[in-house]
Amino acid sequence: MKFLRIAIKDLRTEFRTKGTINFLFLFAFLSIMLFSATVGDPEPALLWVVFIFAGMLGYSRAFLREVETGTLDALRISPVSPSSILFGKIVYNAAIMLILEVFVIPVFMAVFGIYPKNVLLSVIILTAGNLAFVIVSSSLSVLVIKSRARELLLPVLLFPIVFPVIISTVQAFTMAVSGNLDGIQGPISVILGFSTATLAVGYLTIDYALIE
Amino acid sequence: MIVRLENIEKSFGRFKALRDISFTLGKDERLALLGPNGSGKTTTVRIISGQIKPTNGKLEIFGKRRVDESVKRRMGVVSHNTFLYEDLTGYENMEFFASLYDVDGDRIKELLQELGLWKRRHDLVRNYSRGMKQRLSIARALLNKPELIILDEPTTGLDVEGRTRLFEMLSNFKSAMIFTTHNLQEAEQICERTVLIREGRVVYDGSSENLESVFQEVMQ
Repeated sequence: MKFLRIAIKDLRTEFRTKGTINFLFLFAFLSIMLFSATVGDPEPALLWVVFIFAGMLGYSRAFLREVETGTLDALRISPVSPSSILFGKIVYNAAIMLILEVFVIPVFMAVFGIYPKNVLLSVIILTAGNLAFVIVSSSLSVLVIKSRARELLLPVLLFPIVFPVIISTVQAFTMAVSGNLDGIQGPISVILGFSTATLAVGYLTIDYALIE
Repeated sequence: MIVRLENIEKSFGRFKALRDISFTLGKDERLALLGPNGSGKTTTVRIISGQIKPTNGKLEIFGKRRVDESVKRRMGVVSHNTFLYEDLTGYENMEFFASLYDVDGDRIKELLQELGLWKRRHDLVRNYSRGMKQRLSIARALLNKPELIILDEPTTGLDVEGRTRLFEMLSNFKSAMIFTTHNLQEAEQICERTVLIREGRVVYDGSSENLESVFQEVMQ
């Protein structure tokens, strides 16, 4: 019965920290909301689930890795402004995102048999949405670096904040794929406005977030 | 005067790490910050190097009240944490930090040769010994020819040979120095002046001679 003891220990730890369960519930909730926004045509949402999952695993690592290895202190003592550190991380994450897009989008389209009516616009919307996701996750990961539970705190903070961008990107992408562009300005404005606002907030708060 | 601290206090939540730290450091002076573990030595040097801000008190460094980029250009920091990227080679680490300080490749070569790391420059830092990492960390801190070098317990994890080699290097330094340690002998050996910290307060500021008797007197 030792396996039960191990399971009980894990459950006790989990219900105390609520790390994994929070992440699972948030991810499940977000997936349901995503698919509900694209009733009848769930493929664009499915593509975004891929990007969200990949992004959640990857984008926050740029800052958290520096914290874990102690090299964030090396940047703090170097003659480099906190905003340069933030922008450096955003550019790094954006580069990773572009590499991911180059491989994932063609594979996804081939597997699901999706051939967008407006290919260029579809790619631009996906890139803009992903870039907004990168900006939000990079900026937010700075804010949680001082927390002991930073790995778990980030998704809890990120999902609700990034939700409008995800929904808007899925809507705009669905329109671009179908070729029905009526009202596409709305979601595109949300993506661009959200990215700009988050970037501005990140720039204004990075000094306070980085120096204790 | 290079550094002046006046009544510095630092709190982390409810915990008061520093209660009253005041001392100065002159040009080319070598100062040991001595104290038991948890006394506030590292917090003090983290404030001086601009990693954290004091809760209260006045800090002046190179005549400035704020540790900005121009101040950071004039100092170097070596810590027990080596501040190195383990998945980059020794040379790549130096190249990266040199780019932040606008230092050219000749300086990198000069330092790596001086510290005996030139032959291993293309090895990943994760494959370096603790002593080699510490030497690379010193090379990184010297890239900008700092006027002030801060060494925060740099001997942690070093064997006797590594420690001896480090002390030989330190004896050749010409710049002002702050050296934190909990070891009386190290303070006496490296620095002419010692500031003794206990529970976040300066309890002694004077010569590094006869530190053992001073330490016992002050700590009782």
